[in-house]
Amino acid sequence: MKNLNLILAGVFFTLAASFGGLLLSGQVQLGQLHRAPAEEGGPLFPAKEPGLAIQGREVYLSLGCVTCHTQQVRPAGQGNDIARGWASRPSVARDYVLQSQVLLGNRRLGPDLVNYGARVKSDDEVHTHLRTSMPGSVMPAYGFLYTQSKDGSFRPTEDAVALVAYLKSLKIDYSSPEAKLKQ
Amino acid sequence: MNDSHSSNNHSQRPSHEDSSDSRLVEAHSQLAKNKEEPSEGFSSLPIVIVFLFCGFGFWAGVYLTRNAGGFSANTFDLDAPRLVADSGPKVFEADLAKGEKLFIQQCAACHQANGLGVPGAFPPLAGSPWPLGNDERIIKIVLAGLAGEIEVKGAKYVGNMPNIGAGLNDAQVANIVSYVRSAWGNNAEAVTDVKVKDIRKAIGGRGQYSPKEILDAHPLETK
Amino acid sequence: MSQDYSSRGSVSRIDASISVPVRTFIFSSLLWLLVASVLSLIVALKLQVPSFLGECPWFTYGRIETLQRNAFIYGWASNALFALNLWIMSSLARFELKSSWLPVLGGIVWNLTLTYGLIQVLLGQLNGFALLEMPKEVAPAMVVAFLFAALWPAVAFARRPTGNVFVSQWYIIGATFVFPVITVVAQLMLLWCPTLGVMQALVHSWFYQNLILLWLGGSALSAVYYFVAKESGRTISAYYLATVGFWTLFLFASWTGPATLLGGPIPVWLQSVGVVAALLMLVPTVITAVNIFGTLAPRNGIAQAWNNTTLRFVLVGAISFTLSALLNIVFSTRSLNALVRFTPFGQAQEHLAIYSFVSMVIFGAAYYILPRLTGSFWPSAKLVHLHFWSCAAGSLLFVVAGLTQGWAAHGRTDFAVSALPGLLAASLLLVGHFAFALNALGMLAADKAPSNRRSY
Repeated sequence: MKNLNLILAGVFFTLAASFGGLLLSGQVQLGQLHRAPAEEGGPLFPAKEPGLAIQGREVYLSLGCVTCHTQQVRPAGQGNDIARGWASRPSVARDYVLQSQVLLGNRRLGPDLVNYGARVKSDDEVHTHLRTSMPGSVMPAYGFLYTQSKDGSFRPTEDAVALVAYLKSLKIDYSSPEAKLKQ
Repeated sequence: MNDSHSSNNHSQRPSHEDSSDSRLVEAHSQLAKNKEEPSEGFSSLPIVIVFLFCGFGFWAGVYLTRNAGGFSANTFDLDAPRLVADSGPKVFEADLAKGEKLFIQQCAACHQANGLGVPGAFPPLAGSPWPLGNDERIIKIVLAGLAGEIEVKGAKYVGNMPNIGAGLNDAQVANIVSYVRSAWGNNAEAVTDVKVKDIRKAIGGRGQYSPKEILDAHPLETK
Repeated sequence: MSQDYSSRGSVSRIDASISVPVRTFIFSSLLWLLVASVLSLIVALKLQVPSFLGECPWFTYGRIETLQRNAFIYGWASNALFALNLWIMSSLARFELKSSWLPVLGGIVWNLTLTYGLIQVLLGQLNGFALLEMPKEVAPAMVVAFLFAALWPAVAFARRPTGNVFVSQWYIIGATFVFPVITVVAQLMLLWCPTLGVMQALVHSWFYQNLILLWLGGSALSAVYYFVAKESGRTISAYYLATVGFWTLFLFASWTGPATLLGGPIPVWLQSVGVVAALLMLVPTVITAVNIFGTLAPRNGIAQAWNNTTLRFVLVGAISFTLSALLNIVFSTRSLNALVRFTPFGQAQEHLAIYSFVSMVIFGAAYYILPRLTGSFWPSAKLVHLHFWSCAAGSLLFVVAGLTQGWAAHGRTDFAVSALPGLLAASLLLVGHFAFALNALGMLAADKAPSNRRSY
């Protein structure tokens, strides 16, 4: 323990071991994951994101939504995510293969959003939620995403439109080979 | 942290005793060198630590074998590993190339590589209704054998087929049967190892079937 | 009370040689500490009054929290650890720095880059990976700046006159090595050529755990060992175990990443490996705790430590280290983790590690180092008291509130938690930090020309 090179080599070895054991082997298993049909010959899931949703992810990132919202639903035996009605199946690795940045999140000051698109009815519902503050919620109103016209109605900015398209594209309402939807 | 600064709180006395760091290093190096002869109070500690380490290692191994989901890339839920095994990519698919190889080794001596058998001695498989249709019949015959007079494609044979399948595993039997059902113009569905396993379990270690017995259970399908 | 010691020439040659870089680092860290504390107060306020500063996209909760986290870790803790590592290593290795402009340059580049990155975050250029949120062009500059700023302990170690070493030196070398490696790997795999899908989460968890446990934790442990031995005048009680403690920490800590993703969409075997590593952290934790408390506890040592400013902070830090490590171990088990994951519990755990442990140790070390560096007393003892008590109370409040709220949240389906304890805690911490900064800045300002005060 007196030799600088020995300490450096040892610490390098410990890092290299965890890098190989976790990241390289993870990469071998998950690096080539691609979309899969829910049943033989069916359409591939997850579905391609609309272009507007891809822009919307940038807005989501830029506003820091990931600080308060996760995008993952745990299996029924690990927490009460499914019991809360956020999704009917746990999220699996395949659900994320098309996303340029995977925003699992690790804190919930608000509900999980991985299946938000399947839970909301309409664009208007999402816009209202963003523009106004819901009673009992710590989520503030994002008024700066909207402009008010002379007749008092609110017009969403481009950012708001993209953000809503993104939020509505978040869905795990399909079966994947690893996790079937409960009938 | 005394209210009066000038007290004996030496962390606030702004002097840096140059030699004290050297003393600290020397004293601890001495301790490190003497670890072979630890003082009395600690003599049992290293052994305890070694045991603890072994215990941890053992526990880690047990935990990982039980909770690693087979180190599969497709298992995300510990409570539902069966679901994944059934629906994942590990579904059995008959390997016809292996089936052909096994057929040549195990069956072709009598039934011939072209599946036509030997007239008057060994019945043909090509075009025969026996291996086609309901797959339970052929699987049972391969597993337990068949002894007695049978009729195949209008010709009579006195069969005495041994229980070939008893010496093969489920996947091998499934491969052979699937090959026979698809070769030489035969056109019937492949069979799975699970099916072979179930039938093997159901018939147990019985002897050869008689023609009547097997045909009563699974009559030949007429086209 | 403050006296001028320059006439007595009480600043040693070693301290004089590293005086300029250490002052630079400590000065920057103080500024960042104040920035971060104000930001945490805003964060806490926004939880109490969600509409506070809500009219402008610059001040969304997400951006302010990101700023706070980065300013705290990279601005306050890392700058302070540059200073600590350099000072401790120079003292132990009898090292006199020849060219102090290199680490100063590193420190300046580090802080300028960080400022640039945080302004970008404020303007909305942030991504979703905690502690890697700044734009990707920031990372290379920060790694280079880190090498200039933090490499000197390794030089000091390599050039030390005697062969003998002390445990603190290993931790400094290890921690200094870890930071650039994990940053480069994580930046490459997340921002420059992103890996596919949930691999990103895996890479991030690996980076994050290494950063917190090894760069921050490892550096702070070096200071704990050093000041416990030095200030108590005792030898570390089970010193022969320190090697095992060091290697097991580095071996296991870097595998604990996936344990922070339990239940997530990564293969279950990776999660299990993380759980095993997290539970094996018991080995370095117990060894370190036995060494620290075994050294301090006998012969009324705790009471003596309590009466010593540095050791009182270090003691609180060491207790927090032990508690934090034990909590992490216990709550890395699947069943318990399922109850508290995503709740304020996790924040409390993190606060315990990076504030109650790392920051308290840094405070204690600063109370030891600054007088020796400047040759003068701390200007006000009252401020020292205020600092200790408001920080101790604030962080205790934050941790206890977070743990209880997080625990109470399991099984519930709403998110309502009281923001008042957090607000009170943030205010207490802010008061404490102002007291500390006032004292320390006063000390640095009173002594403007260190080069004239060398004693030969």
